Amino acid sequence: MEDRLGMGSRWRVAILLLALTILTVPILVGYVWILISTFSQRTYGLIPVDASGQVGGLTLRNWSFLWEDPNIWKVSLNSLILAIGLTIGVVVVSSMAGYALSRIGFPGRRVFLGTTLVLHAFPSVTLLIAIFFVLRWIARIPVLGRELPLIGGFGYNTLGGVILVMLALQLPLGIWLMKGFFDHVSWDIERAALIDGCSRWRTWWQIILPQIRPGIAALAIFSFISGWNEFLIPYTYITDQQQSTIAAYLNKLLSDTAPVNYSQVAAVGLFQLIPVMLFFLFTQEYLLSIFAGGTKGGS
Amino acid sequence: MKVKLENLTKRWGHVYAAHDINLEINDGEFVAFLGPSGCGKTTTLLLIAGIYKPTAGRILFDERVMNQVPPKNRNIGMVFQSYALYPHMTVYENLVFPMKLKRTPPAVMKERARRVAEMLGIGQLLDRRPGQLSGGQQQRVALGRALTKQPDLLLFDEPLSNLDARLRLSMRAEIKRLQMDLGITAIYVTHDQVEAMTMADRVAVMKDGRLQAYCPPDELYDRPRTLFIAGFVGNPPMNFLEVEVVQRDGVYHALRAGFDLPLSAERGKQAAGRGSVILGVRPEDVMIAEEGITGEVYVVEPLGRDDLIDVRIGDVHVHALADPNRRCRVGDRVHLRFNTQKIQLFDPKTEQSLLWT
Amino acid sequence: MSESASTARALEVGKMRRLQEKTSLRSLLSPLLFMAPAIVLVVVFFFIPVVIVLVISLTDMSTATGFNNWKWVQFDNYSRIATHPNTLPVLRNTLMYVALTLSLFNVGMALVIALLTTHIPRRSGFLFRALWLLPRLTPSVVYIMMWKYVAADAPYGILNQHLLGPLGIPPTNWLPAQPWFFVILTNGFIGASFGMVIFTSAIESIHRDYMVAALVDGCSLWQRIRYVILPLIRWPLLFVTTYQTLSLLTSFEQILLLTEGQFGTEVWSLWAYQRALSNYWGNFQWGFGAALAAVLVLIGVVMALVYMRYFQFNQLVHEPKIEAL
Repeated sequence: MEDRLGMGSRWRVAILLLALTILTVPILVGYVWILISTFSQRTYGLIPVDASGQVGGLTLRNWSFLWEDPNIWKVSLNSLILAIGLTIGVVVVSSMAGYALSRIGFPGRRVFLGTTLVLHAFPSVTLLIAIFFVLRWIARIPVLGRELPLIGGFGYNTLGGVILVMLALQLPLGIWLMKGFFDHVSWDIERAALIDGCSRWRTWWQIILPQIRPGIAALAIFSFISGWNEFLIPYTYITDQQQSTIAAYLNKLLSDTAPVNYSQVAAVGLFQLIPVMLFFLFTQEYLLSIFAGGTKGGS
Repeated sequence: MKVKLENLTKRWGHVYAAHDINLEINDGEFVAFLGPSGCGKTTTLLLIAGIYKPTAGRILFDERVMNQVPPKNRNIGMVFQSYALYPHMTVYENLVFPMKLKRTPPAVMKERARRVAEMLGIGQLLDRRPGQLSGGQQQRVALGRALTKQPDLLLFDEPLSNLDARLRLSMRAEIKRLQMDLGITAIYVTHDQVEAMTMADRVAVMKDGRLQAYCPPDELYDRPRTLFIAGFVGNPPMNFLEVEVVQRDGVYHALRAGFDLPLSAERGKQAAGRGSVILGVRPEDVMIAEEGITGEVYVVEPLGRDDLIDVRIGDVHVHALADPNRRCRVGDRVHLRFNTQKIQLFDPKTEQSLLWT
Repeated sequence: MSESASTARALEVGKMRRLQEKTSLRSLLSPLLFMAPAIVLVVVFFFIPVVIVLVISLTDMSTATGFNNWKWVQFDNYSRIATHPNTLPVLRNTLMYVALTLSLFNVGMALVIALLTTHIPRRSGFLFRALWLLPRLTPSVVYIMMWKYVAADAPYGILNQHLLGPLGIPPTNWLPAQPWFFVILTNGFIGASFGMVIFTSAIESIHRDYMVAALVDGCSLWQRIRYVILPLIRWPLLFVTTYQTLSLLTSFEQILLLTEGQFGTEVWSLWAYQRALSNYWGNFQWGFGAALAAVLVLIGVVMALVYMRYFQFNQLVHEPKIEAL
């Protein structure tokens, strides 16, 4: 056992572990159920049962949506586009602004920094109603509004619009986080680059960005997961089925089918959950660094 | 290339990091900026590099005003205390990076990197990354990076501070030798007076953002112009005593309680009749002798080749260097003889030397 | 000085000045280019919307009026809020939701988890904290679906099947039966991780000397928490409390997914959202909804400004150590 101060006896550790486990069970139960349920005809609690209520009834039938419902691929692709677009946008815009705020002295820098911080604390969901109007205006801009391939455009009822809104709402966190990472890069390296013949842009791109790869990775993973998961914003601003995302699709399944077929819905849920869990398994430390940096505190 | 600073000033808020600095560096000269930390020497270096912008004054390279020229167009090479190698590039990539930016033809680039690497003995490290190198190796690479671009001016910011003592000695000699061979004008910032004295053709001593003196090392040592320089240069540091110089029977005497030292006429007459002045004398110019001013041994610090003896005379302490064979003990009564040809005298108010201007 | 020398000098001065003007323009341009995308997005999606919310809240804009036939109604929407029969219950709901979730989970549970995980071996502590991050990373629709199944009626629901059934309590769908229990739990398990992470790093950064001193003085675990740890982390405690109050006050996604505000779980932010953007009947009252949202926006602005003042903004601003551009 590692040497930690005040750890006390083995017994006390055992009691603390037990207490933690009990507190954590409610979190785990749901994931256990979703795993069991997707491979069962139905479940009673956590017990897989067949049509007559006997224990058993394991099946792959619940996954038939993958080949029977072409919509799933459409909405998955949309979610993927949303997640990737958001990731690229957040990383590029925040790393540019974060660099300027951290390392360039210019008039108004303090004001920008203060604004970023205030917006970081500001609850952006309260602006959803107003953003609805902004998106409707953007939709009127020719081409950019609603005639772009893949993302549909940047206006109301397009994936691009949703990407733009989410990007903006995540910016304060992203900028603040990137600024924190930039703050820790050695000044001498940047000075050396400038003296060696770099412009500020080249320094940013070729010398400084490579130094904060872990920060960029953390922000990118976080943004990707947020984009892939997001329900509220696409649900609010996209009515066009062709532009719908997987979260909205799942929600529709949940609320449409009168008696919910939990096992089928759980399969779709697990389908959405898998990429997130993979990221989670392999990148917890990156993700923790985001939260330690002061996340936007959901609920 | 010649470098000229004219009334160079850098101010942050109310703090002057560099205050009205004037100095000229000749082509091929090696100049050290010497001073305690926070004296503004690094700031001045970064002003010359173009990293900081002067509040007032001008920086000239040859006859060209450089104030508005961005660092990348100044053609300088710089070596940092922290090495500042690019961690994500190999040694080779570090060496050629400045040349790439200048769009040097690849063949020339390769050849020059090879030559510099060979010159610095880092040829076998070209594929490594900086993280895999020792401090000494990293500093060689940093030096190489500064040299491959064939700069007109080399800047060093305490490049040896992070190395251990032995390595520092050998690198010191090597840098000096390289600079002489290549004939590139160099500015070397350090707080280590030994480095400054051994390497530089001229030393610029700075304190609180002001230039205190700018002269060759021996002059700095033998003829310190201010009290600060006298105290800062030399190890162990100079002794200072408050004395009054009076003329008695045609001979000048420096007097204080329990202390009476005859001075040479040319020194004595500069200080006579001024009331209280500060007398400075280096420990190596104070000898334990059979007769002279008497005092009591207070502390003995063996330095190896010499013993540093702290002698109490009345209410002041004077450090002297003594032959260890003399075996001075704490409490011994000893006599001190002073090398009067090396005595320094300062005005206590202006802190300027009374002997040298 | 000869005349030609003085004109040469004047020429040089002029050249220098032009050069200076050029560089000062450039010195603005380069950082501006770095900032430009962020500035545009922040203006379009934060500043303009704040104005829009305030402006629209003074109109009667709705699906009935369309975007063309609306008119100014001054503060009618606000006086409507003041007299609306839903106002009091919603206000009560909101306060209850914020107070209970905050105290039980976002601060209370967060502190408990942080304390427990810092007093067990490091690896186990890390594992448990990672598990507590899961709800925040899980897609909200999936997460709420899990909870719906936990609460579902017999024979499906996990609660009925595995906990209450064996205890002999008659099964039901617990979501309509105990809506607040589930609203607080779903939000709480997500919300606890924020405080947990912050408290953990605060506890781990407490200087070992304090802990040693406490051990030497013979403190029990409880005494050490009460007299050493809690006083030393009061600043993060205050931060999490205020920050999460604001988050809870304005968040509604989980409630929307769980109950859609039925069973008496309507809170203020959800009310605004449903009035303006999403309801069964399709009559969107943008003006009224905006007024409801404006109340929250104002609270948000004021509290965000307060943070900036109290959480030592100045310490976060270092001057750049390079002036070249």
